[in-house]
Amino acid sequence: MIKILNYLLPPRKWVPFVIMATGIGMGLFAYLLYVSNAVSYLSDDPKTCVNCHVMTPFYATWQHSSHARVTTCNDCHVPHNNALNKYFFKAKDGIYHATVFTWRAEPQVIHIKEAGTDVVQKNCQRCHGDLNSNVSTLGVTLETKQHGEGKLCWDCHREVPHGKVNSLSSVPNAQVPLLESPVPAWLQKQTDSIAAAKKENTNQTK
Amino acid sequence: MKSKPWLGWVMFGVTMLAVFMLGLLVNSVMERRTEALFVNKTLAPVGEFESKNEVWGANYPREFQTYYETADTTFASKYGGGKMRDMLHDDPRMVVLWAGYAFSKDYNQGRGHFYALEDIYNTLRTGAPKGPQDGPQPSSCWVCKSPDVPRMMDKLGIDEFYKQTWAALGPEIVNPIGCADCHDSKTMNLKITRPALIEAYKEQGKDITKATHNEMRSLVCAQCHAEYYFDKKSVEGAARVKFPWKNGMTVENMEKYYDDIEFSDFTHALSKAPILKAQHPDYEIHQMGIHGQRGVSCADCHMPYKSEGGQKFTDHKIQSPLNNVANSCQVCHREEEKKLVANVNERQDKIHQIRIELEDQLVKAHLEAKLAWDKGATDAQMKDVLKLIRQAQWRWDFTAASHGGSFHAPLETARVITNGLNKAAEARIGLSKILASLGQTGPIQYPDISTKEKAQKFIGLDMTKEKANKAEFKKTVLPKWLEEAKKK
Repeated sequence: MIKILNYLLPPRKWVPFVIMATGIGMGLFAYLLYVSNAVSYLSDDPKTCVNCHVMTPFYATWQHSSHARVTTCNDCHVPHNNALNKYFFKAKDGIYHATVFTWRAEPQVIHIKEAGTDVVQKNCQRCHGDLNSNVSTLGVTLETKQHGEGKLCWDCHREVPHGKVNSLSSVPNAQVPLLESPVPAWLQKQTDSIAAAKKENTNQTK
Repeated sequence: MKSKPWLGWVMFGVTMLAVFMLGLLVNSVMERRTEALFVNKTLAPVGEFESKNEVWGANYPREFQTYYETADTTFASKYGGGKMRDMLHDDPRMVVLWAGYAFSKDYNQGRGHFYALEDIYNTLRTGAPKGPQDGPQPSSCWVCKSPDVPRMMDKLGIDEFYKQTWAALGPEIVNPIGCADCHDSKTMNLKITRPALIEAYKEQGKDITKATHNEMRSLVCAQCHAEYYFDKKSVEGAARVKFPWKNGMTVENMEKYYDDIEFSDFTHALSKAPILKAQHPDYEIHQMGIHGQRGVSCADCHMPYKSEGGQKFTDHKIQSPLNNVANSCQVCHREEEKKLVANVNERQDKIHQIRIELEDQLVKAHLEAKLAWDKGATDAQMKDVLKLIRQAQWRWDFTAASHGGSFHAPLETARVITNGLNKAAEARIGLSKILASLGQTGPIQYPDISTKEKAQKFIGLDMTKEKANKAEFKKTVLPKWLEEAKKK
């Protein structure tokens, strides 16, 4: 064990450089966490989902629907059977989304995948148990629907809560909370005053 | 390591590559964040304090077009809607209740925002000023009528704005309520543009900049659809629009505020009671109803989503939800439209019924007080009675002036009216004792006020003269204002 460690450790005269290189790497990683608003992904705040602006239509349509009064994105879109499953699903989905978004591979109109469909259907039933008993959909899952037994909730309730079509062009002027500038306020203020002072100087010289 | 120096170079290379890739990733995140800022970019930049709605409309055609649909006056609900209604004609009791105040001359149901200016030109309440320093009203009357107001407040300064007369600003305030009243010109976010609401928040120890987006969807409306008065004390020569919210928003809290500063809007011409004229406490009453308590905002019902060619946007035709049940009520309530409208009407009918009862009592109280004065009652004798009349009328007006109140918060509205009925009854018992002591024992003769004209004649208004003056104003002064505005 010690042998392997010894093997990996750099020669003594290299140590300062290695420490610096690691520091740069870790600093950059910390910066990545900061600009990507990474910590927010642990929360249930719907604002997290508009970190990626392609989610704007979904945020806006949810916000204008009756669901906005009682639910957040996560109430419908992650499993709620146990905390472990919730975060596992979130992480899995999140990494998939991040990959697509980074490679600019997102489609114009986003459609829900099979795994998500399953989760949402279960969550419809989780909250609307009483309503479901009337139309006997309690046995309906993605699987039964795929076998041609019954429909999913939103096959009929198509406007709940997002509506039929969702793309960036479907809600052209939606007002959603935009991410604020990653430059902290105190620094912004400093740089603003420097810029203002510079401007004043040039004005005076004119 | 010493035997294999190349291994060091490999490690160096790997680290460099990792940091480089990490840098690329950070850069990509930054780029995509910036992209979000450009998703909703204006095509034709809108300047700060731009008051011409058409300039904004170039960027947001759908919102703009639906806003101009507030010009539609075809819809009338049972008690409201966009149709012009002569409220004094519908209910001549109001003429007597407002005797001695301009509201007894002319009071119409507000039409759409599009008519904000046209209606304020037309109303007899603004009088017929002949020159810039003439006329009965201060510039405060413009405050809720136009996006030119924030522009002029910025130009003149807030206090200086409030020091003007209504007529002095006539050539400046020419665009009806519009975009700049509620939106920030750069970000299009909702924005509070009227100082009164910001000051009212401060007075309550709250910070309006901390309001959530959903709260803002009501607060932009609350800038105007709220109870206010003209504060002439805090700045010399200015009539500042101020909200009496310091103690809270219930009818009692606001009354306490007014009592503390010994404020009254007018002294009643018949009873001589110091009367409070409620404006339109729509926001306050909405907050006390179930929709307000559950966080439903004004915009949710009055400006719901609209779909057009697969695009969704906020319908800026601000109107009665009863004319748009499918998009407003039925988003939450899955009942039939007919049933929902019937539910609303039922609440309004019942509140209307008890409100009229209170009006009847109040009219009688005013007339009996006049009789007592005529028979030689003293100030000391009348003091308590006048206070009760003031309280009863404040409660009546609070519920009558908020058109939506009977729906927004039926329970609170009913409570306030009941309270008012009790005050009016107490006042009339007091009056009967005074009248008895002055020798009035038989039944009292009440005048015929069954129509607006009869009632106005009874309180001594010369309506032919009022109307002639207005016609003159519209023929001579108004065209000059509009002409001057066009040149700018």
